[in-house]
Amino acid sequence: MEIKKRFWNEYQKEIAEDDYFYERSCIRQTFFPGSEATFLKILRQDLGKQIVDDPKIHTCTGIGYHSDIVPFETTMTICARLFSLMNDSELTNYVPSCVTSFGIFNEVLDTWKHFPEQLELTRENLRKATGREFTVPQNIAHPSDIIYHFRKELKEKMKYRLVNKETGEPLRVVEHIGCHYSKIFSEQSVGGSEFPHVLAGMIEEWGGEVVDYPERRHCCGFGFRQYLVMANRGYSIANSKKKFESMKPYKPDFIVTNCPGCAMFMDKWQYTIAEMEGTTYDDQGKGIPVLTYEEMTGMLLGYNPWDTGMQIHQVQAEQLFDKIGIEYDPQDKYTGKSGKFLGEPEKPTHLVV
Amino acid sequence: MAKLYDLLLTDVRFREGLTACMNCGICTAICPAAEFYSYDPRQICNTVQTRDEEKIEALLKSDTIWYCGQCMSCKTRCPRGNAPALVISVLRKLSQELGYFTESEKGRQQYAIKRTVGENITTIGYCVTVEKIVPEMHPEQGPVWKWYYENAEEVVDRLGGNYQKEGPGALRIIPQVSIDEIKRIFEVTGGKKLQDSIQGFSEDKAAELDMTFNDSIEGNEYFNHLYTTNSGNHQK
Amino acid sequence: MDRKKIIIIGGGPAGQEAAYHLALHDYSVTLFEKESDTGGHLNKVVKLFPDFGDADALRKELSGRLINPNIELKNGTCITELFKEGEKWVVKSDGDCACYGDAVLLATGFEPFDATRKEELGYGIYDNVITSVDFESMLKTGKIVNYEGKTPQRIAFLNCVGSRDEKVGNPYCSRACCINTVKLAVCFKELLPDAEAYCFYIDMRMTGQQYEELYRTSQEKYGITYIRGRISEAAATFDNKIQLKAEDTLAGLPLKMTVDMLVLMVGMEASESTTKLATQNNIKGDYGFAASKGLNGHDNQTTKEGLFVAGTCKRPLTLQETLADAGSAAIQIMNYLRSDN
Repeated sequence: MEIKKRFWNEYQKEIAEDDYFYERSCIRQTFFPGSEATFLKILRQDLGKQIVDDPKIHTCTGIGYHSDIVPFETTMTICARLFSLMNDSELTNYVPSCVTSFGIFNEVLDTWKHFPEQLELTRENLRKATGREFTVPQNIAHPSDIIYHFRKELKEKMKYRLVNKETGEPLRVVEHIGCHYSKIFSEQSVGGSEFPHVLAGMIEEWGGEVVDYPERRHCCGFGFRQYLVMANRGYSIANSKKKFESMKPYKPDFIVTNCPGCAMFMDKWQYTIAEMEGTTYDDQGKGIPVLTYEEMTGMLLGYNPWDTGMQIHQVQAEQLFDKIGIEYDPQDKYTGKSGKFLGEPEKPTHLVV
Repeated sequence: MAKLYDLLLTDVRFREGLTACMNCGICTAICPAAEFYSYDPRQICNTVQTRDEEKIEALLKSDTIWYCGQCMSCKTRCPRGNAPALVISVLRKLSQELGYFTESEKGRQQYAIKRTVGENITTIGYCVTVEKIVPEMHPEQGPVWKWYYENAEEVVDRLGGNYQKEGPGALRIIPQVSIDEIKRIFEVTGGKKLQDSIQGFSEDKAAELDMTFNDSIEGNEYFNHLYTTNSGNHQK
Repeated sequence: MDRKKIIIIGGGPAGQEAAYHLALHDYSVTLFEKESDTGGHLNKVVKLFPDFGDADALRKELSGRLINPNIELKNGTCITELFKEGEKWVVKSDGDCACYGDAVLLATGFEPFDATRKEELGYGIYDNVITSVDFESMLKTGKIVNYEGKTPQRIAFLNCVGSRDEKVGNPYCSRACCINTVKLAVCFKELLPDAEAYCFYIDMRMTGQQYEELYRTSQEKYGITYIRGRISEAAATFDNKIQLKAEDTLAGLPLKMTVDMLVLMVGMEASESTTKLATQNNIKGDYGFAASKGLNGHDNQTTKEGLFVAGTCKRPLTLQETLADAGSAAIQIMNYLRSDN
């Protein structure tokens, strides 16, 4: 334990305190819109911070870049436009919601540091294409870094803990860190690449127990082109399956992740494996609930889970709510903005919902 | 045409990604693609390191360079500070620029990605949104996704979004000025050129394979072929 | 005429050997050793490669020879300052008053690489990951057991931990680990002939006399298996064994294996004293080691007149090389002190 603490202390990076510029994520918006809204709510209402949500922002092209249909020069210039938008708001603290995006910005800034002519080229490109100028952010922090940074303050406001209300035991939590958060630049990951602390810190602060298992650091298998093209999806599901098999003996109560892709995959592949093989990785056939860190934080703060988006998970989360003692209204689960009941989703063949 | 190795060297990521490989295998040891595909990042770096034109050309035309999932686990561990994943990106870029990608089953798939993600970026400003994840093309997303897809506006707006409307919020419509500037950036920086290349070479290949090819996904025999074809010969 | 005095900093094999030769030639030697006893890292070893000689016997010989009226032995004294004052060299330790000499031999040696810095290998976090230093301690007890006190059925050794590795700032090779791995694997098999032993290597650097023959013996007689691939990651399994991932580079296939114990062959780094005292005297070389004046022919002198270096404070060396180097240093010092200067 002492050695792990030493890593966390060595890899502490600077995380800005306030005045953030938020950049939305392609995947998180699509699959977890509630998570983005929850993060903004937590920052504004619970922490009293300023965060700008500019409608003019757009993709950083990360998915396109990592599937090699967008050249690096284009990606650098798109990032520059996003910085320019940040400059328009007179802010200097950039907060990308996506982990791939976080990786892209770090890669771009690192390239500009080692190859300054690339920075000049980007300035020229952006000027030529849009007439815009830009300055580089002073701080880039992933939203999970910010929640981590304020985990003690948030704990004071939390209604619930990551504790099993029947047994009083801490919940056993698998934390999964997005590859592009921790593996590209160790110094940008709180706790480094091997034992990242950004999610572990939240879990421990809020009463849970972190589960270490052999395939903890393994990629969830998104693989960009390995998922985007149907013919390649075997790769993607195989990697998640490897992780599930490895974590199963440790009987985790839930999985939490800071990457939107990982959260989506680890949820959906459990469903797919159940349909294909009849296998689940818990002992009730329901699967292991997968949460985004925004959902986990919102849940413990007492937000309505159907407002934070947990009804869109395929692996149902009620088993987790019941363990903690979270109050929720089953009647409210499938209602829309207008308040009308939208019908229930069909039930899978094998996965118990 | 300049030598392939010299073309690789012009890319700054190649210079970052490969200084010299000592063949220790630490990258292949934790590579997810090495486990599930007939793929070995160490061997790829070795091949490139030889600077052999024939071998590099063969690599650019093969399925091999398309197996990497870009997780970057190799970069974390390499004792010489290399990053096979970056080398792969440069190889893939060159393969597409030269049209070699249509020679391999996995390489041809680039057209599918260009058609979906690539065109999304310059039309809606995001790589993916709800209406693009059509349940029939994504059965693995499950029945809850189908329900969400069919009730997108109601659900997204309940969750604090602003579905296909103007103003801040998830899944809003991006202001036209942003779309226009994104398009211009693609034109100025070679993004459009790459996409046009992918399109052009793919159209040629479709003609060669005698498949229909058009401007959309529906009825595009070539698109459907490479979106779904897997020879099953990708493991050792 | 004043008798010339030599200060030797470091009572490991290099310092001990040099002191012996100098004393034999009637020079006055003061030997400083920071630990309570001389012997350095040799104290931790049971058998010496490549011939499995008795380390204890050598240790007794080296320390026995220090019993000499010409040698003043100061154990438990860590030198923190080294500098020249006029014609004399001065050393100081914490709190103590200065000691003067006409020449100084820096023999402050190495420290084993701190394996906790290779986080992906889990030393200090996963119970059944140990270092070669830990393994030698176990050999002293005559029994190899895992964390739970059980006899291991399968053990793996990993070469080049903290060496040949840009990520920890040590791109160099530590010279002695390859042969040491073979030695330890053979010792393991002698104690537990039915257990499996695997050595994960990038190269097998069998550069010394009898090394290559021992390597062959280890395969033929002891059935030790060598796998060419550097382990990328070690993790604890549910039953507290160690799961390791490597590539069998000769087969070109990734490999996953569960072992009862993983032994990390840690490399040599300059000791803290080496770097500190070398820096104080502008002779700090690569990676914090002390730099000699020239590799070929001036390898015990430094750019500072009267300051000499011997042993692993210069670079990773085997014990054999260290003892030879110390003898050479003694000659250089004598030559220096006899010449008119």
